[in-house]
Amino acid sequence: MPFAATEWLGFLLQKISVLQHAPSQHLPARPGDPTPTSRNLDPLMHPFARARERMRALNAAKMERMFAKPFVAALEGHVDAVETMARKPATLDVAASGSWDGGLIVHDISRRSQLLSVEQAHKGKITGICFADADRLLSCGVDRNVKLWDTRSVPEEDERGAGPSSPLSIYPGKSAFNSIDHHRSDPLFATASNLVQIWDETKSAAVSNLTFPTSTETISAVRFNLSEPSVLASIGSDRTFTLYDIRTGKAERRVIMQMRSNSLAWSPTFPTTVLLASEDHNLYTFDIRSLNTPTQIYKAHVAAVMSCDWSPTGTEFVSGGWDRTVRIWKEGVGTAPEVYHTKRMQRVMSTLYTADARYVLSGSDDGNVRIWKAHSSDKLGVITARERAAIEYRDALKDKWKMDAEVGKVSRSRHIPKPVYKAAQLKRTMLDAQRVKEERRRKHTRAGENKPKAEKKKVVIAEQS
Amino acid sequence: MDNLIAKADAIRPVKRRRIGKDDQPRKSQSSAKASTSHDRTLESVSLHTVLPKSFRSSSPPPENVPKYSHIHNPKLRTQLTRQSTQNARAKALLKDADLLLTEEAGMMQVEGDMEKTWRVGQDEVVKAAGEEAARGRKEWTLDGGPYRSKYTRNGRHLAIVGKKGHVATFDWQSGTMHAELQLRETCRDITFLHDHSHFAVAQQKYVFIYDRDGVELHKLKSHIEPTRMEFLPFHWLLATVGNAGYLKYQDTSTGQLVVEHRTKLGACNTMTQNIHNAVIHLGHQNGTVTLWTPNLPHPAVRLLAHIGPVASVSVDPSTGGRYMATAGQDGTVKVWDCRNWKGSVRQWSTRGGGGELEWSQKGALAVATGGSVNIYTKPSIQTPFAATVAPPLYLTHPIPHRPLTSVRFCPYQDILTIGHAAGLSSILVPGTGEPNFDSMEADPFENKTARREREVKSLLDKIKPDMIALDPEFIGSLAPPPKLSTAVDGAHDIPFARLPRLERLRVSGKADETEEGDAHMQSGDEEDGAKKPTKEEKEKRKMRGKNKSLKRYLRKQRKNVVDPRAVAVRTKLEKQREERRKAKAIASGAEQERKPSALDRFKRAS
Repeated sequence: MPFAATEWLGFLLQKISVLQHAPSQHLPARPGDPTPTSRNLDPLMHPFARARERMRALNAAKMERMFAKPFVAALEGHVDAVETMARKPATLDVAASGSWDGGLIVHDISRRSQLLSVEQAHKGKITGICFADADRLLSCGVDRNVKLWDTRSVPEEDERGAGPSSPLSIYPGKSAFNSIDHHRSDPLFATASNLVQIWDETKSAAVSNLTFPTSTETISAVRFNLSEPSVLASIGSDRTFTLYDIRTGKAERRVIMQMRSNSLAWSPTFPTTVLLASEDHNLYTFDIRSLNTPTQIYKAHVAAVMSCDWSPTGTEFVSGGWDRTVRIWKEGVGTAPEVYHTKRMQRVMSTLYTADARYVLSGSDDGNVRIWKAHSSDKLGVITARERAAIEYRDALKDKWKMDAEVGKVSRSRHIPKPVYKAAQLKRTMLDAQRVKEERRRKHTRAGENKPKAEKKKVVIAEQS
Repeated sequence: MDNLIAKADAIRPVKRRRIGKDDQPRKSQSSAKASTSHDRTLESVSLHTVLPKSFRSSSPPPENVPKYSHIHNPKLRTQLTRQSTQNARAKALLKDADLLLTEEAGMMQVEGDMEKTWRVGQDEVVKAAGEEAARGRKEWTLDGGPYRSKYTRNGRHLAIVGKKGHVATFDWQSGTMHAELQLRETCRDITFLHDHSHFAVAQQKYVFIYDRDGVELHKLKSHIEPTRMEFLPFHWLLATVGNAGYLKYQDTSTGQLVVEHRTKLGACNTMTQNIHNAVIHLGHQNGTVTLWTPNLPHPAVRLLAHIGPVASVSVDPSTGGRYMATAGQDGTVKVWDCRNWKGSVRQWSTRGGGGELEWSQKGALAVATGGSVNIYTKPSIQTPFAATVAPPLYLTHPIPHRPLTSVRFCPYQDILTIGHAAGLSSILVPGTGEPNFDSMEADPFENKTARREREVKSLLDKIKPDMIALDPEFIGSLAPPPKLSTAVDGAHDIPFARLPRLERLRVSGKADETEEGDAHMQSGDEEDGAKKPTKEEKEKRKMRGKNKSLKRYLRKQRKNVVDPRAVAVRTKLEKQREERRKAKAIASGAEQERKPSALDRFKRAS
């Protein structure tokens, strides 16, 4: 029998096992080592996973709003409103600005200093600035001159005290200029006055004049396409948007819109996309392949939009308006942009994205150039990999839970100045009333006679070619 | 204009195209073109344009991801494709994560019908267990009266309380004592708060909170004569119930008394929580079991479970809180399905009257009645069985010190701790503990920094008390359809622009009315069946004694008026007819079934 008993016990030994955790697996091997972690992704091991994730998303949204301090600095120096700005190609931190009093300043954004300052670059206001290449700057003004400046020259006063430097060359024109843009590769530039003129840097008179037949308008802005450098777009006082080709030397197509545009920008990544900042408080993107409707309407400003500029990534753009706000939009998202404002910032006449897409510059009526973060809650400075991972996780959470009422409300709501808020409210009421009126009118006319028209179809009045 | 951008074909003035009409031929054309000739626009702009690295796809997308090629809106299509790709990737990765589960669960098996697992005694189990596991078998002989115990969520620390006021908390694995107190008054229950650094004791008159070293931190004077306590770890709520029959929730992070519910069922001695939805289960003297949430002033569920008083309640954590077991003073044990309260799944009677119950992490049920602890395992206790016989026994252990006042399974261990009149005894029950813990949730081996980190994280993730509900999955799911409508008899007096969004969608026919549509379909079928009203009905509906000529006149007048309601009815009928025709066509094979749409995901089930 004892033999049987031991056999039975041996049998049992094989069949019973009790759970035990080996401490050597779960404790650090040596002092100072990281403690090993183990994961079990069974959903039963994680009760309330969704509720907790939602709380995390809510906290992430609140943290984003808490750390949203977009204003970085104000660059002083101009006496009057900053009308125009341009960034230096192939640099992250150099931008030039020109103001109504004829002052021209080249800013170093990172040091917040001035690389070049010309007090009376033009008589009257400077209307356009662009870099010809890395070191030369073109400016035009209402004094009917285009001037070419060397930005390398260290500002030194000569014996007459006549200011830091004089232009490399002056190109006299026949009428006041409104805008200037340089060709991407060739030594050509285009100016806008009552017609679009193409200039060669080496010649003192315009090479060619481009104008749409039967046009008698004043051109307010002209821009070269960034990928197809011989294509040119302009906007004019006749509520027009015109496309030119300098190879054929003709205006190719013209679009007449409901209201005039104030600013124009080509997308850096989608060569056929152009952005227009309109007087009717909206921005429009057009695909130039089909100009009869805009691809998207961007509605949030409560006054005329004065300026716009694309981010170098082409996914975002910035706009500045007569309503004293700067707004940052996502391409293709027509509402609820990020909105920046300060107490002292007046009408925003010019806006600019920096080349690293991290900052936005705004030049306003009060003569300051302000530096803003492009993403208001971005952390400046070095970010460790762990912190970066946490930030990305928080962003993903916010995106995942944006439809939740509480999370969405926190991340959507912005404090805006009372006049802007009231104006938006009033505008909404008026537009609603208009729509209701139209609807009532339609209800009392014969069916089918007065069909509702999509907002996008109302923008363009006529397309001419 | 032809040579505006590189004389590319794509730039040519586009003709007005109708989307949807000639979709099929156009698509085939473009694909054919793409295969034969190169895209000249692309060629012309690619010199100056590069797609950013972050936009390029890094790895090939997983297979069987739904294609959304039928969706016109390119933005929506891209977004949907990206989302479903990511979901598919995540699912595949989750499958791989099973490889991380390295530890093996305990088990006990016998061969043949003659052998029974319950014949195996603790001595044999201890002999068979490894050295580390065998240390779990313990006998604590204490003379403070019947004892109750509670483990922390990671199973590392144990708090015990004797009826006469002996309180101790210790790390049972290393044997370090944190605090030992002689409170010299009746103590009825003990529980750890978020971790072993704080614990609460239900004493003679109030609840007291002590820190790890046994220093009294708080006297909760609003909790009077408490009998049982539960701590809800994800909400940071301490729930207590007492002799007065009030259920009180105290937020231990802010110190506020969140809510108190009057149960109106007298003194309560039984309480448990469902860890998966934080609902508190109370067992009462009159045999009812009630389920409570902080946001309801009345029980979410009220259930007559036993004829006599309820002695113990426990909820199964291994099935997501689907099963509840109750023991009554009448000597029966019942297992309930929490989705369907009509009758118990299984019931059996035990010897020795009311007992204590506890489910383990793996779903083993320990029942302590009379002088022994019986353990039953999973498939048999949860399968419906009409006869009132006990399910097959897994393990049994006699304890001579009556009464047995508490049974607690140690998380992540095969250990059952039984509190009784002469102290506590821990026995080994193979296969009851979850072998693989998650360090993010509860780690038995965590060090001081990890504990601190987890405390902060869990405070940040603290869920609001209002979010407790019977179904915790309601968070992040679709809101129920609103019942209110501004329409009177289906027609609005308000202009379209001033309607609320849902009504606007409804009017423009874009609202998701799947349920209603189904109902209509059913009613339509019924109409076909009972189309002709009976004679009595006709008689009943016939109008009598009204001026017929005036009516005719009015009807004729009305023909010229465009009544939106009539128009709506007409379009609806048209739609139904179209649907019927389509169904018939699909059935006969003349037409293809509708492709799934992007909005299908928002359709309600059923």
